Amino acid sequence: MQIYLPIAELSVNLFFLVGIGGAVGFLSGLFGVGGGFLLTPLLIFLGVPTAVAVASVTGQVVAASTSGALSHYRRGGVDLHLAMYLVLSGVLGAFGGVAAFDLLRDAGQLDLIISLGFLVLLGFVGVLMLQESVRALLKRRQGIVVRERLPNQHSWIHGLPLRVRFKKSRLYISVLPVLLIGLFIGFVGSLLGIGGGFIMVPALVYLLRVPGSVVIGTSLAQVVAMMAATTVLHAVQSQSVDILLAFCLMVGGVAGAQFGAAAGKHLRGEQLRGLLALLVLAVAIRFGLSLVLTPDDIFSMAVTSLAP
Amino acid sequence: MTRILLILLALLALTLPASAERLISSLSTETVQITSSFDGERMTFFGTVAPEAGSEKKFVEGPFHVVVVILGPRQDRVARKKTNNFGIWLNTEQVEFAGFPSYFHVLSSARLREITDVNTLTTNYILPESHAISPNPAGWWQTLTFGHELIRLMSEQGLFGVQENGVQFLSEGFYQAQLTLPSNAPPGPYIAQTYVFKNGEVIARKSDGFAVRKIDFERFLALSATQYPLLYGLACVVLALFTGWLGGVLFRR
Repeated sequence: MQIYLPIAELSVNLFFLVGIGGAVGFLSGLFGVGGGFLLTPLLIFLGVPTAVAVASVTGQVVAASTSGALSHYRRGGVDLHLAMYLVLSGVLGAFGGVAAFDLLRDAGQLDLIISLGFLVLLGFVGVLMLQESVRALLKRRQGIVVRERLPNQHSWIHGLPLRVRFKKSRLYISVLPVLLIGLFIGFVGSLLGIGGGFIMVPALVYLLRVPGSVVIGTSLAQVVAMMAATTVLHAVQSQSVDILLAFCLMVGGVAGAQFGAAAGKHLRGEQLRGLLALLVLAVAIRFGLSLVLTPDDIFSMAVTSLAP
Repeated sequence: MTRILLILLALLALTLPASAERLISSLSTETVQITSSFDGERMTFFGTVAPEAGSEKKFVEGPFHVVVVILGPRQDRVARKKTNNFGIWLNTEQVEFAGFPSYFHVLSSARLREITDVNTLTTNYILPESHAISPNPAGWWQTLTFGHELIRLMSEQGLFGVQENGVQFLSEGFYQAQLTLPSNAPPGPYIAQTYVFKNGEVIARKSDGFAVRKIDFERFLALSATQYPLLYGLACVVLALFTGWLGGVLFRR
């Protein structure tokens, strides 16, 4: 059954669309990430214009993260105080990201920056995650008990001024790194159409030393709020949010995420992280190759505006 | 006064072609409606070549050739070329084409080159390439190569095309042509320009308009997105939050 997408102005198979939403939703439920980094490239590959893909996936990420954020909130796993700082700076970053998005689209370099951005970010995070999970797996095999809490070392980050007490995270740290992380993820997330959960979680854990009990919940809450703001920004600025496309993805994604979460209970944490790392790296390599390999077609076209 | 009128009439008579035929044409669909299940539309263009009204001839003498040119709404398009810079493929060159047709299809009753000469085809904008040779600040060589590539890319998407057996004659003067408008045909006003050729000359022409329009829900969504972007964006967010919440409730055990 074909469905016509009013903003993308093309007709796609409805079941296929819900299907990829579901498949990515399954993975996102399994690994606890938003799944934007998989959906955006998939849609571009399907022929959806890059701008529409990025903007619409932003809406989908909101839906995919909402149920997770709510269940974490009920269990008290969200540090609202910390999330507020992240969201405020994140929205500011999103303004910059959406503006850069428009500039790049007009200059014809949007696809390049998206490919480069995915390559650098996913490559970096993927390698880090893979290292960490392999080390954990090896240790477990040798019978060493893995420490659940990270060592309480103080790095230079904890010496910065403007300190604020975050009760739920049991932290007393400077707001500067918090704002900086929010700003960066807001910028990158709105530019690439990803929630940024896979950057946020390691940043909170390794840089700010947020305890594990509130990391995922806080990150999800931040993703919901920031991506909601980004969706509105994209709708206003580039008018490329396709509500029908986003809705089809949401339906598949939300359903798939539930099954993914259930399946995730059968795997151990470091196995999950290792698999996610491989997935992230695969996407990064795919983008890297698209930059380096000779393209099938060195010519491309775009509509710059409707003539009056 | 009467003398001037007479001279004018005489001049007019001279400019008219000797064989006075006219074209009566129509099309099957005035408005192509894009609904949520829109998957392209099959259209028929038909017409007849008849003697000029008031002429003494009762029938027309062929053989005729008919060319139907379907032209979509104009857009500004840009063609870009990637080059390899230090191992990375980047878009480095681009040529803009202002007011380029978003859709262009030619249906004809024979090979275009057999119907008439290239010059006539070009000046009447019947050849796809004729849309890409208008003066452009990029220079004529760049315009030529990029225009050629742009037409190729649009042909690959089914937006440009030439069907040299697209028009069938059912009798000496009665023709019909069929076109399948693809689902990615841009919405807007379209023109179907019909040319009748005899011995390589245009002897009659007529244009019919039709519209490709989003209706109902699709129209509502597209209009909201452009006219009330803030409300539209907020609606997207509310929809997303609701779907996410509902999913959590439905699947919680």
